[in-house]
Amino acid sequence: MLNIKDYDNSYENKWCPGCGNFGILNAMKDAFVKLGKYPHEILIVSGIGQAAKTPHFMNCNMFHSLHGRALPIATGAKIANHNLMIIVSSGDGDCYGEGGNHFIHAIRRNIDITVLVHNNKVYGLTKGQASPTADIGVKTKSQPNGVISEPFNPLHIAISLEAGFVARGFSGNKEHLSILIQEGIKHKGFSLIDILQPCVSFNKMNTFNWYKKRVYEIDETSHDMFDYQKAIKLAKEWKDKIPIGILYKNNRASYTEQISSIKDVPLILQKRRIEKEIFL
Amino acid sequence: MNIDITVKIGGEAGQGIQSVGQILSFVCQKAGLYVFGINDYESRIRGGHSFFQLRISDKPINAPNNVVNLLVSLDKRTYEIHKNELSINAISVIDSEDLHFNDGILSLPIMKEAIKAGGSQTANIVAAGACLSLLKTPFEFLEEAVHEIFGRKKEMLESNIAAAKIGFQMASSVQFNYAFKWDKNSSKGIIMEGSKAIALGALASDCRFAAFYPMSPATGIMTHLSSFASAYKIPLVVEQAEDELSAINMIIGASFAGVRSMTSTSGGGFCLMTEGLGLAAITETPIVIVNAQRPGPATGLPTRTAQADLLFVIRASQDEFPRFVFAPGTPKEAFDTIIKAFHLSEKYQVPSIVLSDHHFNSSMFLVEEPLNVPPTIERFLAKDEDLENINEYKRFLLTPDGVSKRALPCMGKALVVVSGNEHSEDGHVSEAAQNRINMVNKRNAKLVSMQKEISSPESYYGDSEILIIGWGATKPAIQESINILRKNGINVGSLHFKDLWPFPLEFSEKILKNSKKFFVAEENSTAQLGQLIKEQTGLSYSGAILKYDGRPFFPIEIVNKLTDFLKV
Ligand SMILES: Cc1ncc(C[n+]2csc(CCOP(=O)(O)OP(=O)(O)O)c2C)c(N)n1
Ligand code: SF4
Repeated sequence: MLNIKDYDNSYENKWCPGCGNFGILNAMKDAFVKLGKYPHEILIVSGIGQAAKTPHFMNCNMFHSLHGRALPIATGAKIANHNLMIIVSSGDGDCYGEGGNHFIHAIRRNIDITVLVHNNKVYGLTKGQASPTADIGVKTKSQPNGVISEPFNPLHIAISLEAGFVARGFSGNKEHLSILIQEGIKHKGFSLIDILQPCVSFNKMNTFNWYKKRVYEIDETSHDMFDYQKAIKLAKEWKDKIPIGILYKNNRASYTEQISSIKDVPLILQKRRIEKEIFL
Repeated sequence: MNIDITVKIGGEAGQGIQSVGQILSFVCQKAGLYVFGINDYESRIRGGHSFFQLRISDKPINAPNNVVNLLVSLDKRTYEIHKNELSINAISVIDSEDLHFNDGILSLPIMKEAIKAGGSQTANIVAAGACLSLLKTPFEFLEEAVHEIFGRKKEMLESNIAAAKIGFQMASSVQFNYAFKWDKNSSKGIIMEGSKAIALGALASDCRFAAFYPMSPATGIMTHLSSFASAYKIPLVVEQAEDELSAINMIIGASFAGVRSMTSTSGGGFCLMTEGLGLAAITETPIVIVNAQRPGPATGLPTRTAQADLLFVIRASQDEFPRFVFAPGTPKEAFDTIIKAFHLSEKYQVPSIVLSDHHFNSSMFLVEEPLNVPPTIERFLAKDEDLENINEYKRFLLTPDGVSKRALPCMGKALVVVSGNEHSEDGHVSEAAQNRINMVNKRNAKLVSMQKEISSPESYYGDSEILIIGWGATKPAIQESINILRKNGINVGSLHFKDLWPFPLEFSEKILKNSKKFFVAEENSTAQLGQLIKEQTGLSYSGAILKYDGRPFFPIEIVNKLTDFLKV
């Protein structure tokens, strides 16, 4: 029987004790087990950062790539073999900063992958600089007078680009996060799950307790996930009350479903064909 | 017979210059002649000045000539710009209100008659008719070509046949010294641009995924691939990425997942791709990159040609790692080279880079040799049953030759673990000092066998006292210059480097040491191959024939420069 231990490995974990990343790691393993997926059935692609180290700390197929480039790697892999179940594990700097352009275009393509962004509002691995999601006024060693740029709102952007599945999770609420990950994986198309992740070393403001006081689960019975306007409104909610859950969904066709030559059989499984007349 | 004439058609972008070229090439090819055409244009869609220059011969030719025998000006400027290139007895066709022939200038009412025939857009066909009439081509040849090109659209066919007829009749009484006797010989080969040869090579290699960001002159390769994919419904996906960073990372992802993948770009795009090149190297993921060179730095001259990225691509990206670099000189060579690039990239799990350039990609060649598609493709992939222990599979296992078994993710039970950070054999990040040394050594160990895959530079009269050395697409121009120089009594041959990295050390040393002197001919300002030869062999060139105005070499330029060198 598939069990959460099947996802454990012996590679030494390198995160700080108490880091919000642990909650995400556990929720991922839980979600995979609940989906009945074995380690060899999953490919995790990541960029660079603390968040991007995630696949090393579990048993799975993985490609730990370059800063910001996880999405193109995942896109190529999915086009080559759309049977692959691909999870991207990324940070807010990785996905919205260095990889911002790829983020926009992966949504446009609606490539069927599930993107988990560990959003700690700082650059953890490079020691605490402001990330694109940092709030105005936040002071760091490299922004001593406080951040002056408007924070990047990933949910708002994703919804406005008609992303297939847009959700927010909280690493302190593992059960809820696991469900979001399962739903994101089941969704056929691009799924974004932005995950509030306290960085205990560099983000002294957005702590576990700060979030605990503010996050609330969206009531699924009253929220129509297909309602664009309501989703935008939820995406803008922050500070005193922060919604977690699925904000938005739509069912437009995914990238590989739209290419007639590979719709049914993945590229990798097709027979080689030589059309002699092309070479004449 | 000894046919060697050059026709140049110039005008503004948007005047249909290329289609005149297409018709002329087509007619000549059908008559069993050889053709070679260059496209010269500015980086703009309308206006400006552009031309198509077609060389026609009864012997194989693959380089442009510098003298023009027949000049057709579709606008006012063309004659002024190119009159200095005219040979004696050349004719210049210009558009004017009525017909007269004086002092080598044939004025024809091209536009006036085109409007009568079917509209101003047929002016180019009127001009093509006049050209072929001057060359004394039988009219049926032209008619057949127009049918072939416009056959599907009945209305266009009629007006274009009418336009061709008018053009043909208008020039029929004019005596042209370069006219020749046309026989209907069986046509030789097929006409294609260099970029098509590259795309065909990729197709023959079973490339299934290509990602690119548009950049001249590399885009044509992808346009060809896309059109094959859509016309023949073959398993091939071509994706226009959001930028070059994405393009190269997409192909790395696709190759990691198991399909052969490539990208094409030009220098500026290659700069962005160097990041991904390093990732392919450290993750040992096979990829093929075509860099169609153009002058730079930065955006440089977008529609001109250059050979100035050689030293860049052999060293591109930080740190050190093995790679293959090739620079084919003809379409057939490019086709075969792409196949080799894919094969070796997978065999050694290293990136392959193929250098072409604007001149090569956008010139029209007549390709006579058959393009042979390999019947089978060796993939060098490991399945579960090929692994000793599925649970202990190590993607980067240290081996004597540096190559480890490559399994694919989710295609078996073995887990494939890969990292762009320095990693240990199991693919997990490792900062251990000894591991770092082991991994660098593992990757470098491949060089020993990679070196053996490299072919010798091709020599042409290679035992001559004097050699001219070149690489890439200048091969035909250099070889033609050798023919001229030898006729002038100079004991000279040439050496063409197609496989450039790993450097073909032994071969080059052997050939170069046998010559008395060698010169390099390159389209850059610092003799990059010359520098590389010096670095690798310790042998110095006696002089460098360099051209870096963004235009391709004419054989005569190489002849003149070498003759000057020998006088000193
Ligand atoms: C091309 C490149 N630029 C910069 C870096 C340095 N770098 C490593 S991680 C990182 C930021 C990571 O931030 P984030 O994605 O938010 O992840 P976190 O560490 O907070 O989980 C940066 C800038 C790099 N590795 N590569
Ligand atoms: S620096 Fe922050 S994000 Fe990184 S491991 Fe430590 S707590 Fe986690």
